[in-house]
Amino acid sequence: MIISEMLASAIRMSIPILLVALGAIYAERSGVVNIGLEGMMMIGAFWGALGAYYYGPFIGIIFAMFAGLVFALIHAIVCVTFKVNQIVSGVAINILAYGVSRFLSIIIFKMATTSPPVEGFKDLNIPLLDKINVLKPLVTHISPLIVIAIILVPLTSFVLRRTVFGLRLKSVGENPLAADTLGINVFKMKYYGVLISGILAGLAGSYLSIEHTGMYVEGMTQGKGFIGLAAMIIGNWNPLGAFLASILFGFAEALSMRVVENGIIPYQFIKMIPYVLTLIVLSGFITKSTPPAADGEPYEGSEG
Amino acid sequence: MKKDLKIRLLEVFSPIFAFIIAVLLSSLIILAINKNPIEVFYTMFKFSFRRIDSIAIILYNATPLIFSGLAVSIGFRVGLFNIGVEGQYLIGAFCAALVGFAIKGLPSFIHLPLVILSAILGGMLWAIIPIYLKVKKGVHEVISTIMLNYISLSLIHYFIADLFLDRNQKVVLGLGSTLIRMPKIMPSALMPKMHGFLSLFGINLPNHVYLNWFFPIAIILSCVIYYVIWYTPFGYELRAVGFNPIASKVAGINPNSLYIKGFLLSGAVAGLVGLSDLLGYFGYMDLDFPKGYGFTGIAVALMGKNNPFGIILAAILFGFLNRGAEGIQTFLGVPMDTVVILQALVILSVVVVSEVMIRYIRYLDKKGAKI
Repeated sequence: MIISEMLASAIRMSIPILLVALGAIYAERSGVVNIGLEGMMMIGAFWGALGAYYYGPFIGIIFAMFAGLVFALIHAIVCVTFKVNQIVSGVAINILAYGVSRFLSIIIFKMATTSPPVEGFKDLNIPLLDKINVLKPLVTHISPLIVIAIILVPLTSFVLRRTVFGLRLKSVGENPLAADTLGINVFKMKYYGVLISGILAGLAGSYLSIEHTGMYVEGMTQGKGFIGLAAMIIGNWNPLGAFLASILFGFAEALSMRVVENGIIPYQFIKMIPYVLTLIVLSGFITKSTPPAADGEPYEGSEG
Repeated sequence: MKKDLKIRLLEVFSPIFAFIIAVLLSSLIILAINKNPIEVFYTMFKFSFRRIDSIAIILYNATPLIFSGLAVSIGFRVGLFNIGVEGQYLIGAFCAALVGFAIKGLPSFIHLPLVILSAILGGMLWAIIPIYLKVKKGVHEVISTIMLNYISLSLIHYFIADLFLDRNQKVVLGLGSTLIRMPKIMPSALMPKMHGFLSLFGINLPNHVYLNWFFPIAIILSCVIYYVIWYTPFGYELRAVGFNPIASKVAGINPNSLYIKGFLLSGAVAGLVGLSDLLGYFGYMDLDFPKGYGFTGIAVALMGKNNPFGIILAAILFGFLNRGAEGIQTFLGVPMDTVVILQALVILSVVVVSEVMIRYIRYLDKKGAKI
């Protein structure tokens, strides 16, 4: 019982990380580093709460994904069209998202840091399995967004491996010049990659505000956008790997809340796990990580 | 000759041009909430330059940003992106706070330099990890410093709220509980204000201004760094590696050694960022210690074109924006976060404008070559 409860809590915690990680995979497979995902998530959390407050949770997630898309569009215009350093743009996007959500929060909710409580989706119960007592925490009261996020894992895998779109996206991230000579529109593919990452980050943010907390709170993303990037790296830029890494990080977070109650290990150290683990994995102590070959490099175009 | 002048002018004016674009874009946001942008910016000016104490507050605001901008710019010079200034200055400030309260009975002229030195060492210590991982393991410094920023946040949180929590606080009457903070720093380690010195010139600052000697220190440090970057062999090698690591390797410069030296220097300067607030204002470290200077420092370095004197100007500009933000919130009811939006837009427009300009100069060069 306690194990399945822990696991259920780990899954709930891992969903926003997973959604961001999947988004990051689309962006980086197209060769664009997007550290603005944290900000896109933040703005998604705000617009999600806003939409849910006025029109219900469904409109909430639509708003959130659209807000993420708009910020991703800024990132794409700056990095792909103007070929500016992608890290600089990402830093600016994060600052912009912080400023915009505080600004709008004051204007709309008259409070800088929180929104009023909002209503979430109706929970799902998995039929038949919910009769088994042991599995109860795992199969009852599931947010529909959890189901969507988990379906997105094999879907992303399929898109990247089996569809024309996915193969083109990857080719652009590996060798843009070769892709260009084969007639693939490099800039268009990079735009798609960045925009999809923004939509997913916005969705991740709305999960936090609509489903997880039931309201928007400033700083509620708490670096989850960066943990998502970490999950992508540890998962070696693959959806399934990112999924496993997200579960691991979600588990660490669920654990950190239990540990506070017991006080054995300071919970601040549990909170460091994702970051320390990422450093260890990147240093090659566990596995070798291989990013897309042309990741982070702006494409100059064949004539330049 | 005429073309060279044109290029020089473009380089000097591009940050100003970019700033104007950012102001225009944020004006749209102000218009969207039915306020008059001209009134907003006019109020910012009036509020900021109305009195001498307000100007002193602007300089106080600018102090951490000068250090932070310098730290980021040193990284840029050698071709490294130090997003880790954020974590480095938190660790630096923590080390300073630790030495500031733990060592007692030293005279000020020993204690204060010791505290500053420990901040520098703290910042350097936190810069060792990413540069080691970069040089030895090939880990990109951006990813490792992002991770280290969050690790430092948790670590500092643990130090303040647990390990070094001041447990001897008296409960203030009316306040239910004690503050979550470290013990107070000894008076011998605090940085004096500039009030006494300035009053010699007939400038009398009220007590609510916290302008202290870290501001002149920041200016002097800018000059020193300018000299080191442009007039010493070390600075030359630093720039060479930043410009083209492969060519400098061929020329007999070891890029890795320069990466290490440059990044540690960047971390050392980053260690100083939080000191003006810590030793000139708070006097102790708590959970609300100001955060985000590291990221604003990136904006300052970009706007200042990595030139120490440009950085001083950019930092003062940002200090003015933060001061003016208080004015527009108080008098016009426009959220002060307008300025945060403006800062983000400044970063984006500065980099876009300079990219466009580089392309334009290349175009001019090509045209010149044809003739």
